[in-house]
Amino acid sequence: MTDTAVAPPRSQNLWGRVGGFLVARPESTIAIVALALATYFAVVNPAFLTTANIRVISQYMIATAILAAGQVMLLISGEIDLSMGNVYFMTPFLVFFASEAGLVLPLAIVVGVLGAGVVGYLNGAISLGFGIPSFIVTLGMGFVINGFTLNISDGFPKRVPSDAVGAEIFGGANFSGLMWVIIIVIGMHLILKHSRWGVYTVAVGGNPLGASEAGVPSRKIKMRNFILAAMLAGFAGVIEGIRVGSFDPGAGVAGTKVFESVAAAVIGGTALAGGSGTIIGAFLGALVLGILRDGFNLQGVSAFTFTMVLGAAIILAMILNSLANKARIRSQSARL
Amino acid sequence: MPPDTVQLLSPSRRNFLKALGMTAAIGLINACTNDGATATTAAGGTGGTGGTAAAGGGGAGNFPETPEWNFVFVNHVTTNPFFVPTVYGIEDASAILGTSFQWTGSEGADNGEMVNAMEAAIAGEADGIGVCLVDLEAFNGPTDDALAAGIPVLSYNADAPNSRLCYVGQDLYGSGFEMGNRIVELVGSGKVALFIATPGQLNIQPRIDGALDAIAESGADIEAIDIATGAALEEELSTVEAWYLGNQDATGMFAVDAGSTQAVGQVVRDQNARDNALAGAGGYDLLPETVELVSEGVLDFTIDQQPYLQGFLPTLYLYLYKLSGGVVTPPETNTGLVFLDSSSAQLFLKTSSRFEGDAAEQAIVEPVG
Repeated sequence: MTDTAVAPPRSQNLWGRVGGFLVARPESTIAIVALALATYFAVVNPAFLTTANIRVISQYMIATAILAAGQVMLLISGEIDLSMGNVYFMTPFLVFFASEAGLVLPLAIVVGVLGAGVVGYLNGAISLGFGIPSFIVTLGMGFVINGFTLNISDGFPKRVPSDAVGAEIFGGANFSGLMWVIIIVIGMHLILKHSRWGVYTVAVGGNPLGASEAGVPSRKIKMRNFILAAMLAGFAGVIEGIRVGSFDPGAGVAGTKVFESVAAAVIGGTALAGGSGTIIGAFLGALVLGILRDGFNLQGVSAFTFTMVLGAAIILAMILNSLANKARIRSQSARL
Repeated sequence: MPPDTVQLLSPSRRNFLKALGMTAAIGLINACTNDGATATTAAGGTGGTGGTAAAGGGGAGNFPETPEWNFVFVNHVTTNPFFVPTVYGIEDASAILGTSFQWTGSEGADNGEMVNAMEAAIAGEADGIGVCLVDLEAFNGPTDDALAAGIPVLSYNADAPNSRLCYVGQDLYGSGFEMGNRIVELVGSGKVALFIATPGQLNIQPRIDGALDAIAESGADIEAIDIATGAALEEELSTVEAWYLGNQDATGMFAVDAGSTQAVGQVVRDQNARDNALAGAGGYDLLPETVELVSEGVLDFTIDQQPYLQGFLPTLYLYLYKLSGGVVTPPETNTGLVFLDSSSAQLFLKTSSRFEGDAAEQAIVEPVG
C-alpha cells in the first residue's frame, strides 16, 4: 500500500485511532461495556461512586476474577475445570484444620492451597493420562470434592480464626481481596503474554498438532494449568471465607461459581474452543458481572427479576463481543 | 496517516457505536425492569420493588407524611417457595405504610453473596434491613456497620446472637423441643429418625437440637438418629426412602425442614409404613403436599411458623422504628408454634391465599367448616 495523497479530516483521524485501538485490543469492547455500565449506575444512583460501594463491587468481583484467571489459562489450552467451585469451598476447611493443628494462618493457607493443587494435579493426571475430556473428569472430581468437604466439615460452617495473624492481609481488611485480585491478574497476564508457559498455552490450544510437532510439551503445559487453576480456586475460597468470617461447606452454589468464572472469561473475549483469550479480558468480564450485581442491588431490583436481567446482560455483552470480533476479522483481512 | 487506518475506519466506528448502543440497551432494560417490578407489585405479584400507597395531605393512615423509606430484605434462598408468603407480607405492609422494599440475597445460601447484598444496601443508604441470620459469624460485621450508619437491622426467619434489634420468626429451639415432646407422646419407644436438610444451617439446626434434647430429657427408651437429607427436594426424598428401606423397624420418622417433611410423608404413604412398626410421623411447614398428607392422616402433624408474618411484621417494625426515631424498639417476636393435625389442615387445604402463598389475589378468606 502507498501513502494517500489526501489526508483524511481530523475527526476521522480520531475515529480511526479509536477504531484501531478497538481492533488491536480484544478486551476493549468489554472495557467499554464496563465503563458505560459504571457511568450509567453512577448517574442514576449517587451512592454508586462512594468508597463503601466501590468496596462492595470489588467484593462481588473477587471470587469470579480469581477463578476466571485460572479458568482462562485452561480454556486457552483447550481444557476446562468444572471442579473449581468445589475446590473453592474445600480449601478453607483444609486451612481451618491446618490452623487448628497449630500452624499460623499464612502457613495454613499455604497448606490449603497446596491441597487444592493436589486436586488440580489429579484432574490433569486423569484427564491427560487416560485421554478423557477434562469436562467430564472435572465434573466427577467436583462431586468427589463436594462429598469430601461435607465429610470433613460435618456439613457445618466453621468460624474463621479472625484474630489470627495475617487474617487482615488475606481478605480480612477492606480491599485486601481486591489487592489479591490485582496481584493475581497482573502476574497471570505477565505469564500468559511474556513467558514461554503462556506462549505454549496458546499454542497447544490453538493448534495442538502443530504445537506437538514443534516440540511443545503440551502435557506438561496443560498439567501446570490444571494445578494453577485449582490453586487459584482454593486461594479465592480462603480469602472470601476470611472476609465473610465463616467457612461454609456451600453445598449448593459451587456450580454457580464455576459458571460465573467461565462467563467472565468468555465475555472477556476468551474462546471456549481454546487458542485465544486474555487475563485482562476475564478480569473486565468479572468487573462487568460485579458492577451489574452491585448496581442492580443498589437500584433495588428484586431477586425474582435479578437473574433475568443479569442473564440478558451477559448475552448482550456476548453479542457485542461477537460483533466486535467480526469487525476485527474484517478489518484484519482488509489490512492484508 | 497510514492508509490502513483509513480502511479500518468504517468497521471500527460501527463497532464503537454498537458498543455504546448495546450498553445503552442494557441500561434501558434495567430501567424497564424497575418500572415493571413496581407495576407488578401494584397488581399483587411477587418480587416487586414495592409501591407507595397513601395519597393526599398526611402520610399513611394517621401518620405524618414520611419519605418513601426503602427497606431491604436479605434472604438466604430468595426463590424458595416457602418465602412467597413472606414477600406478600412485605408487599402488603409496604402498601399500607407507603414504603418500598427490595427482596435480595442469595439463591443458594451463599454467605458471601448475602453479605455483599447487605453491604450494597448499606452503601445505598437503605432505611432499614431485615436479614436471615443463617450463620453465627458472617453477618455480625455488616450488622454493626449498618447500625453505626444509623440503619436499623432486624433478623427474620433465622437468628444469631448479634447486635440486631430483634428477631421475628419462630423460636426454633423451643419449637424443636415441643416437637420432641410430641414425638415421645406419639412413639413411646423404639428407633426414631430425625431428618434435616442441611445440618448446621441456623434456621433448622436449633430445631433438631431442641427435639433431641426433649427426647433425652424425657428418659423414654427412644433411639433417636439424625440424618442429613440434602438441599434439593428430590435428593431429600431419595435419602428418606433409602433410610426407611434399611430401617423398616422404625417407630417414628420426623423432619425439621419443609422438604424433608414432605419426603417423610411421601415415604410413609408409599411404603405403607403405618402397617409396619411406624407409630408417628411429622415435621415442619406447609408445602402443599405436606398439608395434603397431614389431612389424610399420613403425617400426624406439621408445625406452622407463619411466613407471612415474617415479612409483614419486620416491615411494620422498621417503619415504626424510623417514625419514632428509635423510641419504639422492635420486640422479639415468636411468629408461632402451631401444630396442624388432620382436622386443622383442612382449612389450609381448602383455602388459597397470600397468607399461604398459593394465591396472589387480595381476597377475604372465608373460614371452612
